[in-house]
Parts: sequence; structure tokens; C-alpha cells
Amino acid sequence: MAKERSFTEKEGYFGDFGGRYAPEILTEALIELEETYLKLCKNKKFLKELEFYRKNYIGRPSPITFAERLTKAWGGARVWLKREDLNHTGAHKINNTIGQALIAKAMGKRRIIAETGAGQHGVATATVGAMFQFETAIFMGEEDLRRQKLNAIRMEMLGAKVIGVSSGTATLKDATSEAMRDWALNVSNTHYIVGSVIGPHPFPTIVRDFQRVIGDESKKQFKKANDKLPDAVVACVGGGSNAMGMFYGFLNDKKVKLYGVEAGGRGSAPGEHSATMLFGKTGFLHGTKTLVIQDDGGQVVPAHSVSAGLDYPGVGPEHAFLHSSGRVKYETVSDQGALDAFMEVCRIEGIIPALETAHAFRFAKDLAKELGKKKDILLCLSGRGDKDVAEVARLVGLYQGAEF
Amino acid sequence: MSAIRSVFSEKKSAFIPYISLGDPTYEACVGWADALIRGGADILELGIPFSDPVADGPVIQKAFKRALANPFSMEIVLETTAKIHALHPHVPLVYLTYFNPIFSYGFEKFAAEAKISGIEGMIIPDLPYDTPETENLFFSLQKRGIDLIHLVTPATAPSRMKGIRDFASGFIYYVTSYGVTGERAALSSGLEERIRMTQSLFSLPVSAGFGISNPEQAKEISEYADGIIIGSAVQRIIEENSYNPDLCRKKLEEYALSISKSLRGHR
Repeated sequence: MAKERSFTEKEGYFGDFGGRYAPEILTEALIELEETYLKLCKNKKFLKELEFYRKNYIGRPSPITFAERLTKAWGGARVWLKREDLNHTGAHKINNTIGQALIAKAMGKRRIIAETGAGQHGVATATVGAMFQFETAIFMGEEDLRRQKLNAIRMEMLGAKVIGVSSGTATLKDATSEAMRDWALNVSNTHYIVGSVIGPHPFPTIVRDFQRVIGDESKKQFKKANDKLPDAVVACVGGGSNAMGMFYGFLNDKKVKLYGVEAGGRGSAPGEHSATMLFGKTGFLHGTKTLVIQDDGGQVVPAHSVSAGLDYPGVGPEHAFLHSSGRVKYETVSDQGALDAFMEVCRIEGIIPALETAHAFRFAKDLAKELGKKKDILLCLSGRGDKDVAEVARLVGLYQGAEF
Repeated sequence: MSAIRSVFSEKKSAFIPYISLGDPTYEACVGWADALIRGGADILELGIPFSDPVADGPVIQKAFKRALANPFSMEIVLETTAKIHALHPHVPLVYLTYFNPIFSYGFEKFAAEAKISGIEGMIIPDLPYDTPETENLFFSLQKRGIDLIHLVTPATAPSRMKGIRDFASGFIYYVTSYGVTGERAALSSGLEERIRMTQSLFSLPVSAGFGISNPEQAKEISEYADGIIIGSAVQRIIEENSYNPDLCRKKLEEYALSISKSLRGHR
């Protein structure tokens, strides 16, 4: 974990991005969190406990799978999948919530809160809330509650209180603001489990460190299976936690091309997409300095994506740095492209991917052709798509009129 | 001594109300400001609307949402400020804003134009003192005679207050309670002790805000605080009465009078 601290990081900054731009009321809690985390990183008991839960609760290591039928159908590079969808709760989010729950326990906090878009982070937080017996509250935009009802129900079943957020655009951005407000009020007994590599320092570092298990495992597994590294690594990017975790294992391997795929939505007009790298400008949102989709007056523009997990108008500051340095290339895939890929992967490979990951699949299809045979693409299958079936069925016209 | 510092005296506590610019229109805000100053405001805080005000509670969030239904530009903010300043040039005006709109505009340009519009101080809740931007902004404002006013909270350790000292001027905004802005029935315990401790660490006046809404609370806190800041209670009057501008101005003036008369050493 922190023993190999990022070469990109200095005092909470990644190049010009990152930092701690939170209201003063939260600053002491952020400092306490940073200090606790730095100690726990070196604490053998903590690391052993984390390893125990990774193996026995999450089900790690997750396998990598050769996607034989997709490879054949796409007619280009070989496609490999890092199967984060096989984790307990069905996505990579649990890697982070287990880690942060152990930190919260070490800090003596009794309550945890989280924000969620697609609900996978909410489910993962509710899960550790039940597992470690925390009082748990999850903030979720009203629009996302509609799109991701199944996950909201799962959270309630796990004992969490789901709080609908109707302010602003009623999506992830506003759920995040509301979670920060709750934390400001209850900071003495509450830990805020930030769900992506966003927020004020030390959150982007902590979340990345808990997610880097994806890239570290992938590298070993791929090497063992192929006696080489993949030629390209692909992951979807909203806030960017699965991508950051995946890329981190390969940042120093300059021959491995890294691609982050953002939501191109319905078009290039403001409010029609979540393509932060393409359209964002440097700014300050939710406690960090990063690229933000904003208008000329510095007001944050609502983001859109068919996937509730990607429609965030910012991106993790380390991604903003990797973009500016050119180490990672960021691309976009449209809503329709993601829906097409969703159906294609279901039918060809027998896997229902999260709509977020479907963006990465759609990009990988073109990349496979571009790279050609004898090359290898490793794609992070960040989560399973059970949560998306009702929304996709509605959008593609399956089972019209059916109640889900 | 800055225009803001000169407002504070040992004999009386200053009244510092807040309004969100642009709610419901920029033109109407000039009337709200006028009424509050006529009611006894010593300093006036002007909120610059922002889409994601994480330090604010529901009343100010809603005010910003209404304000952002108007086209937003820094030019209209500065023009409105200049109109308020022209009406009452002796009352210092302070911006309360999140950092992104200023950063987007360019803070050198912003500082220069804000000064011309009549701004004497800035409060930025999401810009802690220990960032590179604070240092740059502080000196940019200082050379124009604009104060950078920092928040100190119940969670701020004395060691951190010592750090804030290097980049603070005008007054200290003491946040009376945990959480976000909004009216509260009860104030946190130990408030007097914390404010006195803050006063002892800074050679600046200490004004208390967050949660204060009625004359009784204001009177009690003014016994030891150098100023009283009231935002949400003022904004609620605007929310409830702005459909009738004359009535709204009357209510704002009456409210401001009730607070200013309750403060220690009132005029």
C-alpha cells in the first residue's frame, strides 16, 4: 500500500491537481484521517486484517478471463477481462469500503456515510455497515433512486438509511454535496466513505491505495498466463476509482498503453455528457482541484450519462494529472455505444456488464481492430450489470410495459 | 486601519447581515441591501451564487438556485455591488463566495474589479489558509486593501489558528456550530470560552455566525463577540416576501433594526 507511495503525488497534490479545499469545519477530520491512515499503512495487524477480508469476504483475487468469443467476434487483439464483477456485492467498490470501514473502526467512529450514483458504492458501504455494525446513511440523488431502485432496496435490506437528495440536479454531484454537509454536522462520530478517487486530500490517495489491488493482481495474473504484459489496458472513468486502481499497476510500464473511457452521453453540448477530460477546465469541486465541467462563469454544469455511475462533472485529480502528463489517454463513448456494447457482451460472452463498463467495452472493440491480432487488451470489468437491467430494457425496448 | 477594522470598537458589537446576490433578481438585491443598511447593518455580506455550495444549508442553497435561474456573470455581480456601494459608500461590503467562480474569472482581475465596485473584504469557505492559492490571493487582495477573512470553527485546533494568522485580516468569522449555515434553536455550549480563546490568539475582531437568527441570541453572543453575522434568517425573509418588494424591504429593515438594537452598545 502506502510503502510504495505514488511518484505522482506530493503532499496531497498530483502535479497541479489535488489538495484539500474543504470547509474549515472538516479540516481537522481530514488531518486526523490522513495521520491515522499513514499509521495504519505500516501496521501489520491492520494489513493482515485487510488481507483477511479481501480473501475471505470480497473473494479476492478476482480472476482474469480470456474473452474468447469477443476476441473472435471483434476480429482483432485478444481481449482479457479483470473480473471485478465477481467480487462480493458485484463491483470493485467493495475493495475501498472494506478498507475505509477498517479505518473508521480504528478511529472509533460509530457511524459511516456515503454518496452513491449507480448505487454500487452505496451497496458496498451498506454491506460493510452491516458487517462491522456501523450506523449507516447513504445519500443518493432522486433521479438515481429512480434509475437504480434495485440497489436502493439492497441498501435498505442491509440496514442502511437511504436519503434521497432532491437539490440541484438530484444526481451524484448533489448527493456528494449533501454527504459533505452531513459530515460537517456529525464529524465527531462519523466517517465519510468517499466512493471514488475524488474529494479533498487524503481521499484520492486512500481510495487509490485500496483499489490498486486490481492493477497489482492483474499484472501478476497476466504475466503468469502470457509471460508478458498486456499491450493496452482499458477502464471506464466517472470519478475514476476502478480505472485508477487498474492503471496504478502499470504506470511504470511505459510500453503498456492506458486508456480511460468517459461517458460521451448524447452529444457535445453542455449537460449532454460527462466527458470531463475533453470539456473540463481546471477548477475546484467537492474539496479538490481538478478538471471540472463548468460554464464561463465558473458554475458547475450538470453532467449526463445513460449510466448513473458516470455522470459526475469532475474527475479524480490524479486522473487529471495523468491526462495532462499524457501517460493515460482518455476517450469517450456515447450512450448508444454503451447500450450496444452492453447487449453485445451479454449475448456473445455471457456476461451482463455494468453500464459503466459497457463504455469501456465499446471503446475496446475499436481498439482491438486497431491493434490487430497477436496484441492483448486487458479490460477492467468493474462491475456486473444486474442493477442496470431494468433501465437498459426500458431504453432498448425489451419487455415494454413490464414492472420491474 | 482597513475600512472593516474601523467598524469594530470595544464598546459595541457589529451587525453583519448577509444576502445572496441575484435572489430573485440582481436589481431587487440593491433594495434588500439598502433596507438592511437602513436597519443598522455595519458591514454587509454579499453572497456570490455558486452551483455547489457545500458549506451552506437549505435556505442559502435555495437562494443560490433561484439566483442561478438568472444568467450568471461576474460582471453583473460587480455591477450590483457598485450600485449598493453607491447608495451607502461608508458601509463596508464583503463578498462571501466559493472559490471556483473567482478562480474561473481570474483572481487578479477579480480583486482589481471588486475593489473598484466597493468591496473591502472576502470570505471563501472552501479555501483553507494552507493552500498555494490562499497565499497568492491574500497578497493580491492585500495590495489593494481588501481583507481576507477566515473561518475558524469549533473543530479548529489552536495550532491551526496560529497558521491562519499569517493570512487573515479584517476580522475572524467564528463558526458557532458544527454543520452548515442555517437557523438553530440552541447554540453550542462553551461558545463564549471558544470565542474568547480565538480573540486571544488573533489581533483581529472576532465575529460569530452560523445558526444565529433572533435578537435574544444576538444579544447574548454580542456580550463577548465583536460582531454578529446573520445569513439564513435574513435570506428566509427574502424567500418568503420577495414577491412583494416593498413589503420585503420593510420586513428586512424591521428585522435589521431588531437585531442591531439588541447588540451590546447599540446606537
